[in-house]
Amino acid sequence: MPHRNSIKTLLIVDDSRVSRMMIRTFSLAKYPQWIIIEAASGNEALEIVDRDTPNYCTMDINMPGIIGIDAAEQILAKYPGIRVAIFSSNIQQSHQTRATALGARFVAKPVTEKSVAQVLEFFESNP
Amino acid sequence: MNSIPAKNEFAFSGEIGGNIAENIWDSIKSGLILVDSEGKILLWNDWIAQHSGIPAESALNHFLGSLFPDGLAAPFKTALRNVLQHKLPIILSNALHRSPLPLYPLPVAYHKQDRMQQSVIFTPIVTSEKKRLCLIQVTDATLSIKRERVLKSHSERLNKVAITDALTGAYNRRFFDERFTAEFGRAQRQSIPLSLIMLDVDFFKDYNDRYGHPAGDKALISVVEALKSQLHRPTDVVTRYGGEEFAIILPDSGSEGGRIVAEKLRTAVSGLNIPHGTSSVADHLTISIGIVSYQPDTSCNATCFLEAADTALYRAKHDGRNCVRHLVAPECGKPCPVDTPQADSPD
Amino acid sequence: MNSLSELQLDALTEIFNIGAGRAASSLSEIVGDEVKLSVPCVQLYQSSEINADTLSLNSPRLGAVRQHFSGPFNADAMLLFTEERAMEIVHDMMASQVDIEDVAEYEQEAMCELGNIILNACLSSMADMLDLTLNSSLPVYFVGATNVVLRQIISETNQPLILVLHIDLSIEKRHLQGCLVFLLSSSSLQKLLAHIDRFISGI
Repeated sequence: MPHRNSIKTLLIVDDSRVSRMMIRTFSLAKYPQWIIIEAASGNEALEIVDRDTPNYCTMDINMPGIIGIDAAEQILAKYPGIRVAIFSSNIQQSHQTRATALGARFVAKPVTEKSVAQVLEFFESNP
Repeated sequence: MNSIPAKNEFAFSGEIGGNIAENIWDSIKSGLILVDSEGKILLWNDWIAQHSGIPAESALNHFLGSLFPDGLAAPFKTALRNVLQHKLPIILSNALHRSPLPLYPLPVAYHKQDRMQQSVIFTPIVTSEKKRLCLIQVTDATLSIKRERVLKSHSERLNKVAITDALTGAYNRRFFDERFTAEFGRAQRQSIPLSLIMLDVDFFKDYNDRYGHPAGDKALISVVEALKSQLHRPTDVVTRYGGEEFAIILPDSGSEGGRIVAEKLRTAVSGLNIPHGTSSVADHLTISIGIVSYQPDTSCNATCFLEAADTALYRAKHDGRNCVRHLVAPECGKPCPVDTPQADSPD
Repeated sequence: MNSLSELQLDALTEIFNIGAGRAASSLSEIVGDEVKLSVPCVQLYQSSEINADTLSLNSPRLGAVRQHFSGPFNADAMLLFTEERAMEIVHDMMASQVDIEDVAEYEQEAMCELGNIILNACLSSMADMLDLTLNSSLPVYFVGATNVVLRQIISETNQPLILVLHIDLSIEKRHLQGCLVFLLSSSSLQKLLAHIDRFISGI
């Protein structure tokens, strides 16, 4: 069971700097010891996971370049141990279904304390 | 934002009592329902009572959701929820929601009738005690559709003059030029296919000489009708490009689809069986068709594309007429001309 | 003030994309098929820069849905599409329900509802994220020659800056671009930006 004080690495993937800031702020408010890495696109995220494999990852969908859910699929194929939360304003059923099929959790934006709490709960829950 | 004034504080003379309000709601020729944030009915005017068959006494203080045996349609429920939550007005157009509520034309014999066509407007209301309410206005849409139809056909008749060919009813050359430029530009920008058909009535001059110009005119009208009969998408339009030459733009169509359409057009015109004694191809009126298809993400430009359609038509003529010849741009066999200012689409 | 900071634009883009996501979901429910709606770009233009090219609305006629919003600031919001595209969307949305000949009759109403859904979603998203209350008038749809419509938009503001959202909408196979134009008085624009700054500094 994850220890509340253990250090985790969270990769935040979103083309909106404001969203990244908000996810970062709410996450660090709950887990100040975590390490946060940011990526502004799916392509950037793919590069980063090889260098700095995170424990957790939040992924937006609509971004320039590869779409988030495709990036998530590739990341999980390589590193199935990473917990991925799709955190998006694109709430179409097809994406939600695909996320679930990948073993990822889908959370609808806006980024609020509450929605981030849902994401964090998923990350830190028992397998 | 509308607020309900405190009792008797209406916007008109204070001498008028509260009863007047009720008389007004019941006289209005459309439906008024007022619900609170839980969907409980606070107002149920006469029009609604009549057209639903549910009298006010049975509706007031009951929940709208449970009032009707079949419940409420999902979009109606969503709209109501959204208005109460966000306090922004919402329209359920008749176009997209035929009959959200079980309301019927009078006299109501609702087991046997079709529901009345409706337009619904939801308006948020906040009371002076900060309570959220929703006013639901329902109008009978049948009348406005009829009126719209009359107005539209009148103005359409006026508008159409500028872009249609008076004889055949096809669009005219001016329309084609604009439409083609727009569609080609769009195909390039969005990397989607596009096909262009250029067709020509075989030996038309001979037909006119033999049967006279009035007959020639009639023949062209029939040809256009036959062409239109094979085109089903609103975006596939027949334009009269020249005397006996017609162009058809097929947006979103690639080679396969385009060729199928072209062949259908040829068959349809041939099938008219308009006798033509001086045609050396057949004993009836036929057309030659050239079709060019645009490949997305290639460097072909509009001028070149148009020329390729002409080339394809020329080939059809050269190969014996009454046939279809097809080209794929930009593999039309010659280099694309450098963009001239005319060729640049304004998009 | 001539432009928005990168962070302000980012915040607005994010706010409107969330609205777009909600609108897409509502539209999807009506159309019964996948609807994609996104706001790829938010920009503040000088009114002198507003024309058919910058708005990507190259067509002889435009269709517009308009609502007036009020609250801590006032704004007129207009959703603009080329008339052709508007007709196409409406046709697609009504697809099986209505004959092709009748589509024109329904154009006005259907566009009103489409515009209402998108405008409300964007505004309610703004209200939620910036923590304020906005009221609105009912939507009105009108069609006109492009240059006339755009000239009218430009003439209505008392200040030279116009906020424009570029919008991408896909319904089934049809893809089109439009814009959402916000007309604000200079004091309203200032107030909106103050709310955005407050939101950003609270992150």
